[in-house]
Amino acid sequence: MDVDRLSEQARSYPEVVLTKTHPFLCSEEGQTLIQNDIKENGLDRVVVAACSPKLHERTFKRALEEAELNPHCLEMANIREQCAWVHMKEPEKATAKAGSLIAASLARASTIEPLEIEESEVTKAAMVIGGGVAGIQAALDIADNGFKVYLVEKEPSIGGKMAQLDKTFPTLDCSACILTPKMVDAARHPNIELVTYADVKEVKGSIGNFTVKVLKKPRYIDVDKCVGCGNCAEECRMAGRVPNEFDENLGKRGAAYIPFPQAVPLKYVIDPNSCLLITKGVCGKTLKCADACKPGAVDFDQKPEEVDIDVGAIVIATGYDLYDAKLKKDLGYGELEGVINGMDFERLICANGPLEGDFSINGKKPTTAAFISCVGSREKDGNHHCSRFCCMYSAKQAHMIKERVGDGNVAVYYTDMRAFGKDFEEFFVRVKTEGIDYRRRELDSELKIEKKGEGLVVKANGYPDFDADLVVLSVGATPVEGTGFLSNAMRIERSPDGFFKESHPVLSPADSMGPGIFLAGCAQGPKDIPDSVAQASAAAAKVSEILSMDKIESDPPTANVIRSKCAACLTCSRVCPYNAIETSGVTFAQVIPTQCVGCGICTASCPGEAIVLPNFEDMNVETTLEKLLASNPTPSGEQQIIAFCCDHGAYEAADLCGTMRLDLPVQFKILRLPCSGKVEVQHLLRAVELGADGVMVIGCKDGNCHYRNGSERAGNRVAAAKELLKEIGVDESRLEMFNLSSSLAEEFREIVVNMTERARTLGPTFQKREVSA
Amino acid sequence: MTEEHTHEVVDGTPEMDEPRIGVYICDCGVNIAATVDTKAVTEHASKLPYVVIAKNYKYMCSDPGQNLIKDDIKEYNLNRVVVASCTPRMHEPTFRAAVVEAGLNPCLFEMANIREHCSWIHKEMDSATVKAIKIVELSVARAPLLEPLTAAEVGVTRVGLVVGGGIAGVRAARDIADRGFPVHLVEREPYLGGRIIWLSKLFPLRKCEEDCVGDCAPCFVTPELKEAVNNPNIHVHVNSEVSDLDGYVGNFNVKIKENPLYVDKDRCTLCGECTKVCPVSVKNDNDYGMSERKAIYRPSEAAVPVTYVLDDVNCSYFTGGQCEGHPLCVDACKFGAINIDAKERTVEAEVGAIVVATGSDNYDASQKSELLPQHPRVMTAPEFERISSHLGPTKGELLVNGTKPEKVAFISCVGSREGTGNTYCSRVCCMYTAKEAHTVRKKLPDAKITVYYTDVRTFGKGHDEFYVKVLNEDVQYRQRELGHRLEVVENGPNVVVRAEGHDDFEADLVVLATGMVPRSDAAEVMRLFNISRSADGFYLEAHPKLRPIDTFTDGVFLAGCCQFPKDITDTMFQASGAAARACGILSSPKLSLGEAVAFADETCTGCGQCVETCQYSAISLEEKDGKVVAVVNDILCKACGTCIAACPSGSMQQKHYTDEQVLAMISAMGGSSV
Repeated sequence: MDVDRLSEQARSYPEVVLTKTHPFLCSEEGQTLIQNDIKENGLDRVVVAACSPKLHERTFKRALEEAELNPHCLEMANIREQCAWVHMKEPEKATAKAGSLIAASLARASTIEPLEIEESEVTKAAMVIGGGVAGIQAALDIADNGFKVYLVEKEPSIGGKMAQLDKTFPTLDCSACILTPKMVDAARHPNIELVTYADVKEVKGSIGNFTVKVLKKPRYIDVDKCVGCGNCAEECRMAGRVPNEFDENLGKRGAAYIPFPQAVPLKYVIDPNSCLLITKGVCGKTLKCADACKPGAVDFDQKPEEVDIDVGAIVIATGYDLYDAKLKKDLGYGELEGVINGMDFERLICANGPLEGDFSINGKKPTTAAFISCVGSREKDGNHHCSRFCCMYSAKQAHMIKERVGDGNVAVYYTDMRAFGKDFEEFFVRVKTEGIDYRRRELDSELKIEKKGEGLVVKANGYPDFDADLVVLSVGATPVEGTGFLSNAMRIERSPDGFFKESHPVLSPADSMGPGIFLAGCAQGPKDIPDSVAQASAAAAKVSEILSMDKIESDPPTANVIRSKCAACLTCSRVCPYNAIETSGVTFAQVIPTQCVGCGICTASCPGEAIVLPNFEDMNVETTLEKLLASNPTPSGEQQIIAFCCDHGAYEAADLCGTMRLDLPVQFKILRLPCSGKVEVQHLLRAVELGADGVMVIGCKDGNCHYRNGSERAGNRVAAAKELLKEIGVDESRLEMFNLSSSLAEEFREIVVNMTERARTLGPTFQKREVSA
Repeated sequence: MTEEHTHEVVDGTPEMDEPRIGVYICDCGVNIAATVDTKAVTEHASKLPYVVIAKNYKYMCSDPGQNLIKDDIKEYNLNRVVVASCTPRMHEPTFRAAVVEAGLNPCLFEMANIREHCSWIHKEMDSATVKAIKIVELSVARAPLLEPLTAAEVGVTRVGLVVGGGIAGVRAARDIADRGFPVHLVEREPYLGGRIIWLSKLFPLRKCEEDCVGDCAPCFVTPELKEAVNNPNIHVHVNSEVSDLDGYVGNFNVKIKENPLYVDKDRCTLCGECTKVCPVSVKNDNDYGMSERKAIYRPSEAAVPVTYVLDDVNCSYFTGGQCEGHPLCVDACKFGAINIDAKERTVEAEVGAIVVATGSDNYDASQKSELLPQHPRVMTAPEFERISSHLGPTKGELLVNGTKPEKVAFISCVGSREGTGNTYCSRVCCMYTAKEAHTVRKKLPDAKITVYYTDVRTFGKGHDEFYVKVLNEDVQYRQRELGHRLEVVENGPNVVVRAEGHDDFEADLVVLATGMVPRSDAAEVMRLFNISRSADGFYLEAHPKLRPIDTFTDGVFLAGCCQFPKDITDTMFQASGAAARACGILSSPKLSLGEAVAFADETCTGCGQCVETCQYSAISLEEKDGKVVAVVNDILCKACGTCIAACPSGSMQQKHYTDEQVLAMISAMGGSSV
């Protein structure tokens, strides 16, 4: 390529003060050259024609900044990857194309504006919602990173599901014994504030600055006075009469109670649904609980209290609910005596459970037992997902019951034994050698539990009937009640299985779809304790990254609302994948700059052109288009192809064509956009109007869009524009949407070659140029 | 209202330097008082040696209770405090804080557990009271011997080290860097990304209803790797390894050996002229020998840093071949990017916390002779990944010996779930097999596809849904038990898969789903970082549930498959988690450790028994005054006391649990005082 000629050409444009060539502009020396020229000549825009901006845009922007010029005053013309390297066989034409790329960059440079970073303060505190093992771990790790944490739990005690378990697989250590020290650590940590017996009611704000409204339910016990002695519970007239939820309602408590002896905080609570004073207005002659309480902690005047808590980031660790086995009529849960679920089993066999570990069903010790896997998991209709921990807990429980029944038969009905964790397979092999009958079955084959004499019988297709006194249903996990509420309150999506959706299932599985909101444990999908703990620490890492910033800076360009045009239809807010547009109580849309990622999807969706992305406004785009198509028709009569490329999958694939030295048709030019979702119908039409013979929109693969769903929206817009082309009599196949990923260079080349061929076949869009630029 | 009841007995006035003990007996409402006569206990305590004052109160842990202690310390000039109440696991920190507020060293506080260990487990008032008195006597006997101790404090070098530049290491390094700490990222290969950049696609493929070329691995990973290279807080050392490490949590010294790439990545424009002139061609290991590369080459289009690299093992300048004295590539490079004289160098760094993310190796299928691993129609899954990758030797065309296969068999659990050998499940093979079967179906719609499996372990989010979809794509899943016979036998140019209980399946491609094994140098790395391995050979976490990321060595954390096989999602959790744990250390200006550390007194003979016993490598033998003696590192000592019991000469002692203190309590136990 004739670089000197390009330099000379560029100098002929009126707005150009000077042009220079350099063997390595990216080198220190090259950058200093630019910086000196900025200072000496008072340049206010800089165009660098060099390699791909993906490689050195950062470098040059930094150079501008050091020379005290706004970094957004830089414009790059990619004449290496997208010109020199893809047209190596046609140096003459490549030089001509480079000239037009530089012309377009120069024209664009005159229309762009310096952009300023906007900042918002960061509230240096976090909230963890859910006090199970995941929430506790997340809170501890954030606290250890030096930040204040509010650990919000809806129950009177932290501990969650893990506190209910008897033993944990595959080590068989006592669950409470390993969990309670962690619970105590959380309660004692100077950076952690426990907010128990409380519900999240409302979440406002954005990354760095959330305000969470939390409703503290009245305990009717003054926690500052309660010393946890338990006298109130002992004296409560309802003692031993109220089913204890912690024991899966298999044991009893009073109205004044703690869910379990190791409760943290060790503060009693009076249950308003069973307290006689609260439900009936009277409780005998005197209030025995209040009389028994020496420190005078009982306080029936307590009211629900709403508090606003300001935090910079949030972890959702709300856990899961057990699948309701009553939905499986064939299995008899809730109807047949002796049919229990996995959690019932845990409570019945646990030493601190209602039977104090003396496992029995209605006073009878079982002599035979059957376990049924995948109850409420891997369903054809309903819960498609695998609940991930049931195989192992049923192996553990089979082992525990086998210890008690000795020679009695124990069978496990299973489909695929998913013993995948560290030491899991080894544990499963050991359990099998203990004489437990593992019976493989297909998921949709028939399985029924019926009453037989005093006991039960399991009838499964392909196996002889199995008589059992005890049948344990290995129920799976379902999204916790309230998942829907939280997902609406925080405006974060859920996956098809109903659990909270992660930002990317492989690359950022602890991030939710909402900036500043992270996921830990089973809230994101079922998982065992080690995996929950690991994810909790991961969420803590992400939270700490945000809280360690003094300020959250916006990354310009970010969208701007033109208030005079905004009708507050809030389409922008609905299409924004990042919750970056505020809606409540506004008469016009309001962009939160620190949450806006600058994809531009909203600007293409706004019916009133009231929201714009600076430097990607109509004028910027159209000026560039005009210059790119200025030489149309080319002297040789070749067809012009314009590709609107997103900055991720498409632009990188185009660069890779260069890196791999793949030949591309020389009449093909790229217009770079942040996201294909930024493509506006009018820009596509304008390209045709300017005489483009083929117009391509290239975005990421659907579902893999860097900005989540921009490429899908682009597809819709292209479809709409095609309709309009048809109406004005232009062959609609001149416009096409493509989806690519960044390393698919060969595919990129193929679609460009095909499109060029198509345009050649169709001939020029307009016989002669009717519209002037 | 509460009734104030204090029972006060003031003994004489001992010398100032003598112990002055205050004893406080708690009623805990009725929790203690209903079974133990706390007044009698108080009365008795007041008469014990050195006791200046003994008081009884209903809730010692309450604010008034704590104030009682604080006021007395000042009023009576107390220098020891004993509280008899609940378990120290509950309120020791509370009372320690209280005495500190009153100006006393926390180690001069002693607690007697008369609730959990007495009132709650006995019913008889008389005998329970006798026992409570005994428990208090023990504490009062120990109290005079308590010494003021200060916890060791150590500064922290606020820099991280991540070993291994696979996706786990890169994620951990980025999270540490984004948290605001500089971090060294050390990778042995000349590029970041580890095994992931050699994969075709990442499961579970999303949105793959139509073409299913989404979720391409390099497309996702390369931008992530570039972010790491561009992060100003990350010092990337590729082609490097950690050669030496010493120090301890917060203060490690590390030596990083950097081998030269011979190419300046900032000057290399990827023009490829060097490769064209390079006379040396070698089999490309990354493509399992299915392609060739030059001695100067680009490892992959997806490789980061984005540069050519020179392999000095094969380069003929170094081997004394054609380029000896006159390297052709150097002449060919117009940009002067090649420095053939570059030398290895060692970088020394101080770091505060370490993440080990060294990954795993592929199982070597050549051990399974019954599966004909050497047959040209049999390949391992990692090899299949290369031929299905668009950046691989066939550019993504499924070609075996130049032809498209028509009958493809996948065999699961190769080198996993073995009766003896690798007993564990490799956790990823079921899903990648489903993905690969799906890839074959998409690329070769008419192929016959059979998967031999034992249990389909598709347990991750969206995984089972994907498996069900593959099942519906005319992929035949054949269940077999692991112990049952399964072999691959030759049949003309093709092979036949023979499995017990199933018809023979003739195949022109057999893919072996090989598992993961610990890296061949795992033992070496284990010693370097002073960590342990579990029976399966992977690195051992400190606790399988509560500390799945920590090791037994403070300040060293684990991420990814070096701890156990796992998929990328789970690796990401662990990697970010390791970063959080590491930052927990890096963000504390000082680490404060326990006071009750061990020490060797002057009678130590340097026998080394304690060194052997210590689980935490806290003791070393050092020369002192011409004599080899045991020296305890206060920072590493966990105060377990094992070394003290192991010491044959009684030289090893533990602060706060000295022989005198323990013996005093034993003596007190023997005497009948009631």
